[in-house]
Amino acid sequence: MSETPHCVHYMCRYAPLELLTAMGAEPSYLSSMPESFGDSVALLGSNICGFGKSLLDRVLAGEVEELVLTNCCDTIRSVADVIEAKKEAGELPKLKFLYFLDLPRDDGDCAVDLYAGQLLALKEAYEAYSGNRFDVKKFAAAVQVSHTQQVKPQRPYLTLLGGKAGRELHMLAVRSMPLPVQNATCAAGRTFGEALPGEEVLQDEKALFAWYAGELLRQIPCMRMQDAQGRKRLFADPNLKGILYHTVRFCDFYSFEYADVKDHAAVPILKFETDYTMSASGQLATRFDAFAEEILTRYRDTPEIFADRFRKPKEEQPMQERPAGKYYAGIDSGSASTDVVILDADKNIVTYVIRPTGAGAGGSADKALQEALEKAGLTREDLAATVATGYGRAAIETGSRSITEITCHAKGARFLDPTVRCVIDIGGQDSKVIALDEKGNVENFVMNDKCAAGTGRFLDMMARTLEMNLDEMSGRGLTYGEDITISSTCTVFAESEVVSLIAQNKSTDDIVHGLDKSVASKTALLAARVHGRGPFMMTGGVAKNAGVVKALGEKLGEPLIVSDKAQICGALGAALYAMEA
Amino acid sequence: MSAAEKLGQIVESRLAGDPKKARGWLRAGWEAENVLFHIAPHKELAPADRYLQQLMMGTMLAPLRHPEGSAMVSIFVPCEMMQEVELVPYSAEAFSCYLSASFCEGACLERAEEEGISDTLCSYHRTFLGAAEAGLLRAPKCIVYTNVTCDANLLTFRKMAEFYQVPAFYLEVPMDVSEASVTYVERQMRELKAFLEKTTGKTISESALCERVARSKTSLETFRKVQQTKADRYVPTDLVTPFYSALTANLLLGTEEEQHYVEMALQDAQNAPAKRGKHIYWMHTIPFYSQAVKDRFLFTESAQIVGDELSQVCFSDFDPSNPYRAMAKRLVTNAMNGPSRRRIQKGIDNAADAKADGVIWFNHWGCKHTLGIAELGRQQFEAAGFPTLVIDGDGCDKSKEGEGQIATRIGAFLEMLDRKEATA
Repeated sequence: MSETPHCVHYMCRYAPLELLTAMGAEPSYLSSMPESFGDSVALLGSNICGFGKSLLDRVLAGEVEELVLTNCCDTIRSVADVIEAKKEAGELPKLKFLYFLDLPRDDGDCAVDLYAGQLLALKEAYEAYSGNRFDVKKFAAAVQVSHTQQVKPQRPYLTLLGGKAGRELHMLAVRSMPLPVQNATCAAGRTFGEALPGEEVLQDEKALFAWYAGELLRQIPCMRMQDAQGRKRLFADPNLKGILYHTVRFCDFYSFEYADVKDHAAVPILKFETDYTMSASGQLATRFDAFAEEILTRYRDTPEIFADRFRKPKEEQPMQERPAGKYYAGIDSGSASTDVVILDADKNIVTYVIRPTGAGAGGSADKALQEALEKAGLTREDLAATVATGYGRAAIETGSRSITEITCHAKGARFLDPTVRCVIDIGGQDSKVIALDEKGNVENFVMNDKCAAGTGRFLDMMARTLEMNLDEMSGRGLTYGEDITISSTCTVFAESEVVSLIAQNKSTDDIVHGLDKSVASKTALLAARVHGRGPFMMTGGVAKNAGVVKALGEKLGEPLIVSDKAQICGALGAALYAMEA
Repeated sequence: MSAAEKLGQIVESRLAGDPKKARGWLRAGWEAENVLFHIAPHKELAPADRYLQQLMMGTMLAPLRHPEGSAMVSIFVPCEMMQEVELVPYSAEAFSCYLSASFCEGACLERAEEEGISDTLCSYHRTFLGAAEAGLLRAPKCIVYTNVTCDANLLTFRKMAEFYQVPAFYLEVPMDVSEASVTYVERQMRELKAFLEKTTGKTISESALCERVARSKTSLETFRKVQQTKADRYVPTDLVTPFYSALTANLLLGTEEEQHYVEMALQDAQNAPAKRGKHIYWMHTIPFYSQAVKDRFLFTESAQIVGDELSQVCFSDFDPSNPYRAMAKRLVTNAMNGPSRRRIQKGIDNAADAKADGVIWFNHWGCKHTLGIAELGRQQFEAAGFPTLVIDGDGCDKSKEGEGQIATRIGAFLEMLDRKEATA
């Protein structure tokens, strides 16, 4: 019988790719990360893992003809139920083959028998559907291919671990990092193929399926398996130089592993979270760039590890020829304001400017720089070097290089106070905590994820609800009568809570104090995640809010250092880097 | 400030610096509540439900009084063998529910988040983990858990086993509801027997176990009669009783106390006056602390929560003469196992037993399975003739509650049911 090619989509490392290949199918990993979600949100709700939503969207869009799922988690169980209901209702005409494998969490002999039975049932179902027969030679060849793919990196590399990371995220990491990045997340971390079946196994179908089920189940496990001890291998490779740890919002498995490894990893680790879309790729790029800077700093004594990289590390990129000027400029293009600092050769601040960013980051940066130069009576020719930082740094053409605001804030804070060991920056759009080592290098950092809670935006919204501006809000709440706790962490719910407190005639000072405590709690949690220790310096726009500064100091157990230059800390750090360039 | 809020404030303020003292305060508060339940029970509650309050309070106090005599379990683990070796089982859902009622879940949740646990994990499990990490809970004798019915079970109890370094037993339940799966779990039940005997040094008598499992069967059958009898009656109720009965129907199933409770409940139902107001059947956990929910259902004649699906997830069609297979069958056929249509159909059958006028599907934050099939559930309940409201919220973490939204939705839903009746 002639075989027609079939594309079978799968989503789990335990999916039997070799079995499907042996029946003429071409397995395809559903790894694409969308920009946003479609109709799946109406069917599954918002508060569920984005991978499940993206999978359902692709099925609803008719992009999937054959699908093999495993009951790898509660989200996929729900997705399978919804797909099955839609299929039974005749609403998915393009989905011709749907199979749900009951994957054990155990890898003992009984579980292997159970999974072998599942695989045999899949074989029979797929043969009946496709008309293709299982070909043991093709199976052996497919196993051989998987076997050859199991090659450990022989040179220094970084690994992307944790929850599902699609190819877009992997590629962003590859482009940002100074070392190769291996994707070992969820399904991409499939390690089947370490062993090959003997001839006697290939001759006996029952033995073959038992062998196959055993090998599949005994891969390096994912976190959903009962015994996840085998994952220690992922962290023990001497060539591993850093970990990008990804968690997907509403997938809880990997936060447990992160909680375990964060304090014990021997290499730098970056924790970040996505909702399985690339909608926050700008913020991700900032984090990745900052991590790349951390990696370069960490291994600066062994530059040879970067030698094989297809491009030279950023530190070694040829710099533009330095003009003859004697001044150095730093531009921090933030979401709310664009700040410029100009230093002279003795590191004195000649002038600085803070202006709203407005619509275009590049244009605002140009205007802010021009304003600063005019204020100082200088021209562009007087600048020996310029460094851009902040969200909009990529859009700024002025300047010899760009550095992330993480690194620049650390530099600026340390310049303002050489004793500082932890920088807390709360801006309009995000908040970050940067732990420094004794020399002032970035030791670890963390940023809030896609949520306004604990940021300037949160305070802005609450100020509006209280019908006051941020300056007024800053002065309120320092003295209070009743110690109110705003329990809602969600900005929307917190707003409702504030409205009901107003309705209860609670005093504004008491409510503002409750809000200050809420921001302080959220920020203190971030500080705990990087093991931040004092002295703490607070920077960013929210540093002007005396109530938050006081509440955060109380939460951290020591007063915060707030410089009168707190708002220009990032630009100052950038100017200092310009001087070093 | 209520006494419970004061207790929460004291416990939370001592948790970071002196967990032993915090634990002492928590126990003292719960002991006081236990005394109150005995000497001054809530007058509006039916006698069976007053007894249920005492029963649950005693169960929750056990791990604080004698942690070495308790077993940490996931909620759907069959507990008869633990009862035989005199271990008191307690679950994450039950303990966290009591912590929340004592206003100290906030500090536990914060502790869990500090440890790096995602805030999207079920808040019962997060609170439990945080309480353990903070020192509010002492090591149990052992841990027994199963994958039925959520991912959080695997994560929480595996971590707890590592944290406390106590023996742990995991029951793997296949999704496939079949005799082969029952056989697979039956083998594990026999291994669990050996595990418990080794852990406690006690022997499980086959005949006593048969008797206990037979009692489980009777309790399940009696509880169904309670629900069917209540269908035409008015039994005043609060927001915790339906959930308490869910907890005891799993943790205490097989005990004389649970049998006594269901018999009392049947008597109460038989003696109750005719139905008043609307009967609401509740899917998943109940946000007992929500003022919006209290306003509508707390001892109100206009509407009552007449049942919670979690108290009726087990079927009683098992043969107690082979207790291991019986418990295995109960676990495999648990309404929460297998495809969601089983869970939804069981909910529909339960709602029909209770002659529910409407159903509320509570999307407890972090429960991925409940959230993911909510729309399917709504469609299937409505197709079966039950008007259904889906609301988002959190049964344990008060900070996740959107009071205004819940009040409006439940209010409009009940008004809709009233209009439906008026125009029928």
